[in-house]
Amino acid sequence: MEGPVIRIENVHKHFGRVHALQGISLNVDKGEVVVIIGPSGSGKSTLLRCINRLEEYNSGRIVVDGIPLDSTQNINAVRQEVGIVFQSFNLFSHLTAMENLTLAQRIVRKRPREESQKIALDLFIKVGIPDKADSYPLQLSGGQQQRVAIARALAMNPKIMLFDEPTSALDPEMIAEVLNVMLVLAREGMTMVVISHEMGFARAAANRVVFIDEGQVVEESTPEDMFASSSNERTKLFLSKVLQI
Amino acid sequence: MDKQPKPGSRGSKLVTIPTFGRAKHIDPWWGLVALVVASIAVLVTVRPDPFRNILLFVRDGVTVTIFITVTAFVAILVVGLLGALGRLSRNRIIHTVSTLYVELIRGIPLLVQLIWWYFAFPVVVQHVGEWLNVSALVNYRANAISTAIVGLVFCYGAYMTEIYRAGIQSIPKGQMEAARSLGMTYAQAMRHIILPQAIRVVLPPVGNEFIALLKDSSLVSVVAVADLTRRGREFMSTHFNPIEVWTMVALIYLVMTLFSGRLVAWMEKRYHPET
Ligand SMILES: Nc1ncnc2c1ncn2[C@@H]1O[C@H](COP(=O)(O)OP(=O)(O)OP(=O)(O)O)[C@@H](O)[C@H]1O
Ligand SMILES: [Mg+2]
Repeated sequence: MEGPVIRIENVHKHFGRVHALQGISLNVDKGEVVVIIGPSGSGKSTLLRCINRLEEYNSGRIVVDGIPLDSTQNINAVRQEVGIVFQSFNLFSHLTAMENLTLAQRIVRKRPREESQKIALDLFIKVGIPDKADSYPLQLSGGQQQRVAIARALAMNPKIMLFDEPTSALDPEMIAEVLNVMLVLAREGMTMVVISHEMGFARAAANRVVFIDEGQVVEESTPEDMFASSSNERTKLFLSKVLQI
Repeated sequence: MDKQPKPGSRGSKLVTIPTFGRAKHIDPWWGLVALVVASIAVLVTVRPDPFRNILLFVRDGVTVTIFITVTAFVAILVVGLLGALGRLSRNRIIHTVSTLYVELIRGIPLLVQLIWWYFAFPVVVQHVGEWLNVSALVNYRANAISTAIVGLVFCYGAYMTEIYRAGIQSIPKGQMEAARSLGMTYAQAMRHIILPQAIRVVLPPVGNEFIALLKDSSLVSVVAVADLTRRGREFMSTHFNPIEVWTMVALIYLVMTLFSGRLVAWMEKRYHPET
């Protein structure tokens, strides 16, 4: 398939009086890693959640892998193509790590139990926690939980992975272990949209950094250009605040 | 409503509480159940007249009370789940119907509802039967026990609806979102993710409902059901010994409620092995 794998055209989203997305447009190509930055409340999460329709939007158009997000049928089809990783992990707390990975494989992808477990074991190795399959989420550290969450999304063989501040709920020593897994994914050619203010990750993995403010794309460029030589005043102000920390 | 353990309390399941031999397996409150059973036994042996006679006389009433309570409770669990799903439904009509059900039912005393089902409902059915010209409906007579069960289910179903709804809503929103974003349908997410977690939360209040229902089932004695309470009244009306009869009836209820209470506690423990 040619053209962008995610196509977002002039999308508006209101939460009551709050105009969270104000005619936002963004394209993401296959295999591209896009990092989204922007101030708190600028609409980053809302945009990401619109891509797999966890949030409905009021107007505009979103097409994912050639599928327009309109009918219920299409929304379920898109959700099977798109994995999402949340800031707060959202692991199923009554299931073991293994069950977290196999449940959707079995009931959505209709894979037999053995096959789903084999896929899960391979993924546990990939994210670096081969010995935690039988643990419950509460028995894992934050970094381990987030890696299980990434593995859970990958088990569905998504074409696109979305990350909403995957490391901002983690202690500093755990951030690297999660970012490393994401870096491996990026190198493997996964299409990724990542909300993150980890500049190191953006420099290492991103093809493009998009700065969002007040529900609009203010500027987009390569990480080098964005961080070193942005000419936009709003971008520069924001970056000066973030980079200070 | 009990809260789930916070994600921060990581590893809480690994904590082992020091125990002394087998002591932790025995719940001391079972002693209270045994005590009440023992006092009944003592009364029956020491003064068989009237206590043994009372016990034998109300025995089938106990069976009726247990039958009504258990049957109604199973139906209440189902009605409550349907009600809760309706209350949470995005469909306007379903949502309105289930909300109206809860609000109206909870505003009417249970006793009045039971009386309505027994005395008024059959007349309604008969009128409808005449109107539709269906003789089966015209000749409809209320069966006391099943009408009483229907009344209890309707009433308690409304309270159970609210307990389930609160339990489902206490599960963090992210659980449903994670499930949906993995491609699960709403029904799959409910069945595999939300309800199994909600059950732990609602178990204590649901257990309390069972015990409350057991006690409230005594109200069906007013609508021609020969339950424990009604049998007690029948015995008293022929023997005129209120102290003995009602003490005995109270003790029997106490055995049943205390026993159920222990059962509920035991089930809670099975679901929350760490507490
Ligand atoms: N469910 C909601 N109901 C009402 N308002 C909402 C809701 N979700 C988001 N908003 C509002 O929409 C705006 C955009 O929120 P969003 O979460 O997308 O911001 P963000 O860029 O992700 O911020 P942060 O960096 O703090 O996560 C904010 O003003 C927020 O208050
Ligand atoms: Mg956000």
